[in-house]
Amino acid sequence: MSGIRRYLDSIEPQFHKGGRFEKYYAVYEMVDTFLYSPPNTTRTAPHVRDGIDLKRMMSYVVVALIPCILWSWFNSGYQANLALSELGVAREDWRGALLSVLGIGFNPGNFFANMVHGFLLFLPIYLVTLIAGGLWEVIFATVRNHEVNEGFLVTSMLFTLTLPPEMPLWMVALGISFGVVIGKEVFGGTGKNFLNPALTGRAFLYFAYPAEISGDQVWIAVDGISHATPLGLGEVGGMAGIAESGLTWWQAFFGLMPGSLGETSTFAIMLGAAFLLYTRIASWRIMLGVVLGVLGTSLLFNMLASDTRPMMAMPFHWHFVVGGLAFGTVFMATDPVSASMTNAGRLVFGILIGFMTVLIRCINPAFPEGIMLAILFSNLFAPLIDHVVIQLNIRRRERRHVSV
Amino acid sequence: MITKLFNFHGGVKPDPHKAESADAPIRPAPLPPMLVVPLRQNARSQAHCIVEVGDKVLKGQRVGDAEGMLGTAVHAPTSGTVREVTEHPMAHPSGLSTHCVLIEPDGRDEWVERTPLDYLKAPRAHALAFLRDAGIVGMGGAAFPSHIKLGKGSGIDTLIINGGECEPWITCDDRLMRERAEGIMAGARILFDLIGAKRVVVGIEDNKPEAIDAMRTASAGLEVPAEVVAVPSLYPAGGEKQLIRVLTGIEIPHGKLGSEYGVQCFNVGTALAVHRAINFGEPLISRIVTLTGNVARPANYEVLIGTPVEALLPLAEPRPDTDRFILGGPMMGFALPDLRVPILKGSNCVIAASPALFPSPQPELPCIRCGACARACPADLQPFELYWYARSRNFGKAQEYNLFDCIECGCCAFVCPSHIPLVDYYRFAKSEIWARERDLMASDKARERFEFRNFRQEREKEEKAARLAAKAAETKAKLATREPAEDNLAAVPSTEAEDPKKALIAAALARAKAQKAVVAPRNIDIDTLSPEQQAEIEAIDARRKSSANAPEAPGKAPADSSPPAQVPATESDEATRQ
Repeated sequence: MSGIRRYLDSIEPQFHKGGRFEKYYAVYEMVDTFLYSPPNTTRTAPHVRDGIDLKRMMSYVVVALIPCILWSWFNSGYQANLALSELGVAREDWRGALLSVLGIGFNPGNFFANMVHGFLLFLPIYLVTLIAGGLWEVIFATVRNHEVNEGFLVTSMLFTLTLPPEMPLWMVALGISFGVVIGKEVFGGTGKNFLNPALTGRAFLYFAYPAEISGDQVWIAVDGISHATPLGLGEVGGMAGIAESGLTWWQAFFGLMPGSLGETSTFAIMLGAAFLLYTRIASWRIMLGVVLGVLGTSLLFNMLASDTRPMMAMPFHWHFVVGGLAFGTVFMATDPVSASMTNAGRLVFGILIGFMTVLIRCINPAFPEGIMLAILFSNLFAPLIDHVVIQLNIRRRERRHVSV
Repeated sequence: MITKLFNFHGGVKPDPHKAESADAPIRPAPLPPMLVVPLRQNARSQAHCIVEVGDKVLKGQRVGDAEGMLGTAVHAPTSGTVREVTEHPMAHPSGLSTHCVLIEPDGRDEWVERTPLDYLKAPRAHALAFLRDAGIVGMGGAAFPSHIKLGKGSGIDTLIINGGECEPWITCDDRLMRERAEGIMAGARILFDLIGAKRVVVGIEDNKPEAIDAMRTASAGLEVPAEVVAVPSLYPAGGEKQLIRVLTGIEIPHGKLGSEYGVQCFNVGTALAVHRAINFGEPLISRIVTLTGNVARPANYEVLIGTPVEALLPLAEPRPDTDRFILGGPMMGFALPDLRVPILKGSNCVIAASPALFPSPQPELPCIRCGACARACPADLQPFELYWYARSRNFGKAQEYNLFDCIECGCCAFVCPSHIPLVDYYRFAKSEIWARERDLMASDKARERFEFRNFRQEREKEEKAARLAAKAAETKAKLATREPAEDNLAAVPSTEAEDPKKALIAAALARAKAQKAVVAPRNIDIDTLSPEQQAEIEAIDARRKSSANAPEAPGKAPADSSPPAQVPATESDEATRQ
């Protein structure tokens, strides 16, 4: 038995009822079960378990996000370096100082320089998300006397990747606090929320501080440069507008364009999707549903395309590579807590998301991006979808047995 | 015959672990020093004890008579002496006790006289009673009386013999089918005749090829349409409704039984027991038990009913790191709280568990509504919904979601990524609901009693009124004769003498008034005290004030017991005590 184990055992009584640190049992438990597996034995059936495990599911989602994370470093660094070299200026803040001191520089042609630059953009946002959100998690776990859940690691990573690269850090803290507290904890914590917490936090920021999370100014981490996302271009000028900017479909597919940290590369997202589908952690039905929804709705709008709403003419294969559609489809819509639970329901849920996304993109001039609101909207409908599916199922099976 | 198999919804594939004990032939277990034969063999009924302490019993002699609708007889598993009839811990997760007959074997294993039954000639009711008195119950686990399952003898099209044995580790039915296939099929034949079926189907999981071969050979000799079908190995394919679904495609709806759809299911062990009972006159006194798990010699033993588990275990030689013993399979069994418990007619397996074989459960995490349980549920339920409702003690809602269709197979808990012990929640909810129903029944009875009491009181009141009326009539007659002699007081009611009640009341009032007039002078009205009395009270008050601790005060209190004088007396008494 190791020293740590001995130490944990020796302090354990203080965390029990009546002990000095009774209130902090959740914290003790978190450390204990993180380091060791508990010594309980089963008294009642079943005594055997499948290999699937919530912690493993959560860590697999983070693994699936790795391509996106790496790409977010490269792309945000690349976009920033590109802008700096266009403007012919140097970075003024601590990142610039650090990069200069390390002698890494700001050459957009240097892969390593881009990665480090992007990493320095990504890291503060992620750290603030982890600390601010983690604080709320521990507070709620302590007050409610339950364990701290690993699900938060996924939420914080997803939240970080949906933000623009230079989001003010206090807003990041505010956003994740809203997401964790209002999006999850007030409803009882993990598993009891009906909205995706990461998206709830982002939606809060989107409506509270639109200047920092939408428009043309925020997508490249360099002050004074204006560069709209392809969706913004499409909103104004349709496909012609995107073509004018020189962006090709393949560039968009691989993600060499400005945007939120993790959403730009459909390719990186597809790598993650393949992993999630292979490990059967994400529901293929939801993903397929979104694809079908986007396909059907965009084809419909293509037929209705008019000059007043140029976005309607965007073909479906462009829809997937611009904006956050791919990221939302793979990582947000498949969150099991807020999605539908029944198999048929998941398909419907996905289709609803796809439909709403294209609808918002094409019809609503106020929001160039639709996937975030589409997912939150569909989250609200998920229980209703399930209810209808179950009722239909019961009715179908009753009919099957009338003849017997 | 069956050309197509069907799927049931859900199911899981736990590690089968059959190989450990599947090759161990059935051997008779040695006689234990003491047999504990429970009179209660299932939750529904208890046999009525017909032996006394000190009685000599023979092997197969009845020690308990069937009592109640679902009762079956209980027999002595070997010859010996009844040592005790007492409470003894049972195979139950909480180690509950029940009434047992403790028999000390004499080692001679001497049979009682055995009389087979020619069931084809005997009346059907007689054959069913014969099975009941032979103690034949379902040996798949639930120990439901077989003669009840045989029903009316009509309406059953398909007789299913269940050789599924889908739980991991257990091999007793596998061995039974390999070694005693003829007997099983002979039993199936009897059941076939008694139930009036049109065909026999034996369902065996395809991971038991030897058993399938043996049963095919045995069924070939049967003169009735019989077929042995290999069903895909998927837990819980051996569940009754699941096997019916796989073999016939019939989905038994909520609240219905297989028999309502022309299907009835019997375990292979039950079929063999029926064969032994009818054709040899041997009651059900033994069964095959698999001893496996963390043991040096996994084995299948033919064990006398009532053999304590602790007497069996040394046969398999559990390894030293064994930390508990599981009765039944790992999916549905439970850890034995006490090893003195006896083997019952439905006990099929004892597994020695070690931390290596059955690792500790991970801590329970929140449900993330992933729906894995719903996809695994063979009863087509929504386990996570049941979990939410059981957890929040919303039992009405849990019942609405058909909690009682749950067969507690454990598939949901097996797949749950959050390691939620879902089945425990369902058991909790079920027992809470049962407890509430019992309470409700008790309160119904109480209400009935209360209503009857009200009714009785009402009736007594009426009877009393009738009696009074009769008495009043009598009084009235008396009054009428005595009227001239009465004074004025009595004369008043006499004017209303038509109403006997009023007359009575008036008479009573008059009596009370007369009495009051006699008593009145003795009572002192506080408002009309005489000057002497007033002076006395004041004197007493003054005394009391001058010395709060005056011991003589009570003694000096006026003895005429006038109320105002008494008050200070008691008060000073109080003061003295203080």
